[in-house]
Amino acid sequence: MTFQGILVLDFLGILLLLQVLNLVRRGRLYVGYGVIFVMSIVAAILIVSVPRALWLVTHLLGAVFPTSALTLAALGFIVFMLVYILTQLTIISNRLATVVQELAILRAAEESKNLPSEFDGGGVRKGN
Amino acid sequence: MSQDNERILIAIPAHNEESTIRQVVEGVRRALPEQDLLVVNDGSLDETGSILRTLGVYTTTHLCNLGYGRAIQTAIKYALRNRYDVLITLDADGQHQPEQIQSMLKRFGERKADCLVGSRYVESHNYGAAPLGRRLGMRVFSLLTQIATRKRIYDTTSGLKIMRRSVFEPLTQWHFVDFHAEAIVYLLRLGFEIGEHPITVSERTAGQSMYSAISHIIYPLKTALMIFLGAIQADLTRRKRRQ
Repeated sequence: MTFQGILVLDFLGILLLLQVLNLVRRGRLYVGYGVIFVMSIVAAILIVSVPRALWLVTHLLGAVFPTSALTLAALGFIVFMLVYILTQLTIISNRLATVVQELAILRAAEESKNLPSEFDGGGVRKGN
Repeated sequence: MSQDNERILIAIPAHNEESTIRQVVEGVRRALPEQDLLVVNDGSLDETGSILRTLGVYTTTHLCNLGYGRAIQTAIKYALRNRYDVLITLDADGQHQPEQIQSMLKRFGERKADCLVGSRYVESHNYGAAPLGRRLGMRVFSLLTQIATRKRIYDTTSGLKIMRRSVFEPLTQWHFVDFHAEAIVYLLRLGFEIGEHPITVSERTAGQSMYSAISHIIYPLKTALMIFLGAIQADLTRRKRRQ
């Protein structure tokens, strides 16, 4: 990789790093996700900046050119993050569903207190 | 009939069923006047909620739409919490005939099954009346269920079910798509007894099916995956219990 290329990629990496840190500071990005991004960006900067590291990664991934190796690593990272984020979304969705279900049951019990006596002890109306 | 001292809850999950919910609730009240009735209003955006209020029916309302499976799960949680012995679920689209529940309950009491499914196909073994796609899907789900459990359940997608208290807890401890084939496989692999009772259904006359065009493709894949995972989960649960 040319010296100019390394400089551009490092500059972009540092900008992204600062942006991530700022988002974590402002509470817009959960610190757990922030750590993943910080570690990944630092690793990417190191791989790009140290020619021996880039050569090692290229060799390990079985790529011919360093750019191919970097693209493959980036794709792997994106897929990993996608699965991780969807996992988090599913967890949140399950938690939300549980809250909605609990709220529905509690609200129904509360509303049943105002219902006439034809409703039984469990709060359920007997059929006509 | 089920034992006289058993507390029975009838639960109807409803999502945007303004055109049929009144008829279904009144039908259930006429057919089973002694039983408690609960409607789970699953985030309906139409007039379902206000119709239920005018009917004075006990309703648990989801603030947003969680889907059929979660609505059934809310009913199960409610039944569990209020110490019901038996839970009957039926659809709010008017396809099920509440008059048939009496004979199902009788059979349920006699058979001592943990869950009895109201089945459209158990007698004829013929899916002929359904559209091709659905026919194929039901045959595949039934076969997958048989492969996973060595027991043939002909109607795995029926919403009319009678469940005993013994299955309430397991059904709240895992996640299901629609409480259909995957729930049946899960319960059978856990060692519960599931049977089928012949019923007839009316065709949906109004309202919207919960299956959209895209879900006709996704749903079978989701269910097939969940049948497979349900079998694994049941085995892991059994192993955990033994330890």
